[in-house]
Amino acid sequence: MATIEAPLPTTRERVRPEWLENIGGQLLALVAALVIALLLGSFIILAYGESPAVVYGAILQFSFGSKDGFGYVISIATPLIFSALAVAVCFKGGMFNIGVEGQYLVGMVVAAWAALKLDFLPGPLLMWVTILFGMLGAVAFALVPAVLKVKTGAHEVVTTIMMNGIAISLVAWAINGPLHFTQKLGAFNINLRTDPFNANARIPDLGHRFGVPESAHLSWLFPMALVTAAIVWFVLKRMRLGYEARAVGASAGSAQAGGISIGSVQIRLFILSGALAGLVGMQQLLADKGYLPVQYEAALGFTGIAVAFLGQNSPLGIVLAAILWGVLARGETAVQIDTNVPREFVIILQGILIISVVVTYQLAQRRLLARQLRKAAAVEELSDSAAVEDIEGLAKEDR
Amino acid sequence: MSTPPLVVMRGVTKRFPGVVANDDVSIELRAGEVHALVGENGAGKSTLMRVLYGIYPPDGGSIEVRGREVRIHSPRDAIARGIGMVHQHFVLVDPFTVAENVILGQEGSQLLHPDEANRRVAELADMYGFQIDPSARVEQLSVGEEQRVEILKALYRGVDLLILDEPTAVLTPPETSALFANLRRLRETGKTIVFISHKLDEVLEIADHITVLRRGKVVGATKPAETSKAKLAEMMVGRPVLFRLEKPKTKIGEAVLQLEGLRGGRLRGLDLEVRAGEIVGVAGVEGNGQRDLADAIMGLRPLEGGHIVLDGRELTSISTSEIRNAGIAFIPEDRQDQGLVLDMSLWENGVLGRQDDEDFSRRGGILLIKRIKQLAVRLLQEFDIRARSIETSARTLSGGNQQKLILARELETDPRLLLAAQPTRGLDVGAIEFVWSEILEQKAAGRAVLLISAELDEIYALSDRIVTLYEGRITGAYAPDAPAEEVGRGMLGDVAATKAG
Repeated sequence: MATIEAPLPTTRERVRPEWLENIGGQLLALVAALVIALLLGSFIILAYGESPAVVYGAILQFSFGSKDGFGYVISIATPLIFSALAVAVCFKGGMFNIGVEGQYLVGMVVAAWAALKLDFLPGPLLMWVTILFGMLGAVAFALVPAVLKVKTGAHEVVTTIMMNGIAISLVAWAINGPLHFTQKLGAFNINLRTDPFNANARIPDLGHRFGVPESAHLSWLFPMALVTAAIVWFVLKRMRLGYEARAVGASAGSAQAGGISIGSVQIRLFILSGALAGLVGMQQLLADKGYLPVQYEAALGFTGIAVAFLGQNSPLGIVLAAILWGVLARGETAVQIDTNVPREFVIILQGILIISVVVTYQLAQRRLLARQLRKAAAVEELSDSAAVEDIEGLAKEDR
Repeated sequence: MSTPPLVVMRGVTKRFPGVVANDDVSIELRAGEVHALVGENGAGKSTLMRVLYGIYPPDGGSIEVRGREVRIHSPRDAIARGIGMVHQHFVLVDPFTVAENVILGQEGSQLLHPDEANRRVAELADMYGFQIDPSARVEQLSVGEEQRVEILKALYRGVDLLILDEPTAVLTPPETSALFANLRRLRETGKTIVFISHKLDEVLEIADHITVLRRGKVVGATKPAETSKAKLAEMMVGRPVLFRLEKPKTKIGEAVLQLEGLRGGRLRGLDLEVRAGEIVGVAGVEGNGQRDLADAIMGLRPLEGGHIVLDGRELTSISTSEIRNAGIAFIPEDRQDQGLVLDMSLWENGVLGRQDDEDFSRRGGILLIKRIKQLAVRLLQEFDIRARSIETSARTLSGGNQQKLILARELETDPRLLLAAQPTRGLDVGAIEFVWSEILEQKAAGRAVLLISAELDEIYALSDRIVTLYEGRITGAYAPDAPAEEVGRGMLGDVAATKAG
């Protein structure tokens, strides 16, 4: 072996697990993005002659200052966790499911049908069956673009956008047609909704156990969302489907040469994504309203794209990002009540936040990769024995 | 010589965190010479030239151009001082014409004059004997032609010193000859060329002076007449390198792979047989169906006709994963596009293709992470893959280590047939030796090997039987000691070839 006089790396750095490095880096990037967004937002607040401290204080006060404030934040976050997970699952496989919007609308219609027509089912069984039907409806709707993509190569972005239009009309048709209002309630004109569901179909309230008023609609759906996020993490990181999905997403050619069937992975991802999308509407359908109104809360699928992005498509990141989104949404009420800043300020702040996340993550990722490349280069310069020691150390850790 | 050298780099040192890429390197470049810079990957050749081209600021040392000490802060600076560089990866605007690419950024006025530009670029090309149509669009050009455009771009900016970073890595043999003809012409007109390479035959053919780098230091300066391939390789690697490995004697057994009348893509009725304990080398100029042949065997492209049979079993219409399970290991020609998922970790790459094995995942689809990681640790150890950890991404490995990882993964499965396409493309001498000896070991173990390579050297070094591929057909079969001219004729489609003995 050649002797090396040059000051080669003398102390080999301890092998820090990549995930720690990644999470550390990402957390730093997220905090930096948040700080930048709040700073930029301050200029807008100052332009309205208000104090940033007061405005941000009001937003925080409304979200964290009371139990019911936080309850609202959580119930806003709940459907966003599902929709962002639905987006992320496809994204990992290199696909962009813009159709979560349509998929959850169809899920709501099918779930409403189940809740109304199967109301003979006993106790909580009706609720579970209703949720299951919601998921199945969304899956069926998601399969159309998935099959079109695999069989004909039609791009999922185009087809899912088109499917969204169909879904909106489908809801209107369902409420005016097969699921129309049947009960007579005096002079009230409330036929722009379905009949109310049997109480057995509803998701029980959770908030009152913690002193959060029921008007916040903090239900058992939130813990279900957390469990779902954990399951999605497990599927992506610990299961073959997730492994194959990430391989297809990162390098379709290598995945294919490795024997992975790309079409099959794409179909399975869309099924998973659709199932998650089916859960998005359950907050308003089964925790909040108890019927399907024509003025349902829309755009949860689109917001999910922003949340998935903010959470960098990682399940943990998505949960945090959804809560952050909940805080901001709650902030709309706060600035209206407590300050002279218009509520649209919050929407601007959301936009700024996304832009600053894009920028800081890009920078962080580049720096991270550069660091890894440098360290790798250093390892290649090391003598054989040192590299082997490294690996042997690892082997021990693994045992 | 009385005139000062065109460029003198004195004691140049460049550090990256944890690594000294250039350690007190001195080099003189004279007008009108082709100066070869050789060394293994990571020896610091490209870094040194990037310092000269103003991409990296040096941490120490000085640079003189035409006898005057200068500081070069950017590529723009370098070009202003007559120094140009053509990188391995071209930076051209595909939809633009050749002339538009050449004059890009140097248009001279807001109003474009396409005819004038074409005329000037044509004149420039004529002056140096470059064959290229200025009005052709870059996206329609071959790789060799794109490289000519890059060189013209530099010449258009009036450079006297042209740095070419591994220019032949992407070229076919005829394209390389054309490039060398161009370089000789440039030398005649007094231009200086720095030729970065680790292909020693080429260096000996074209260079006037050779500087050898190893681990960031100059370990030798010589001339082609005073050295040999073996001496250069020893300087580069630091130990003697075998260019002809001993081919193990094996008993050649029954047919393992039979290809019959394969048609589809560029394949036009290809027949071939590979037997156990035998290495069959498919020689041919690139673009004659090599990629389609490999893809067809692996089930990665549909066929219009023909049969692929492994150990008597028809593989023609089964999936890639079934083909792999039947016992074919695959070293793809493009390791980044068909071999590794660069953004996944080493352990995730180490199991790619075997994630379905019951060793590595449960029936319910849950991966057995611990076992997969143990596999990766074993692969890294057995194949001496230098990496920081198995958690690091495949992107951070050097080309040689990436290829080793693919070899390790593919050979771990105890295959019946190894399909190796361009297995040493872009690798340096040490890594080539490693890959070659692994392939020979497969033969020694009684496996069948189908080697597809554009490097005739490689075909000769490994094959027991050589066949030539031309326009999707096998045009000849040769014994491993057949003269290169005969094989060359087969590569150009001359079907009247002798049968192997």
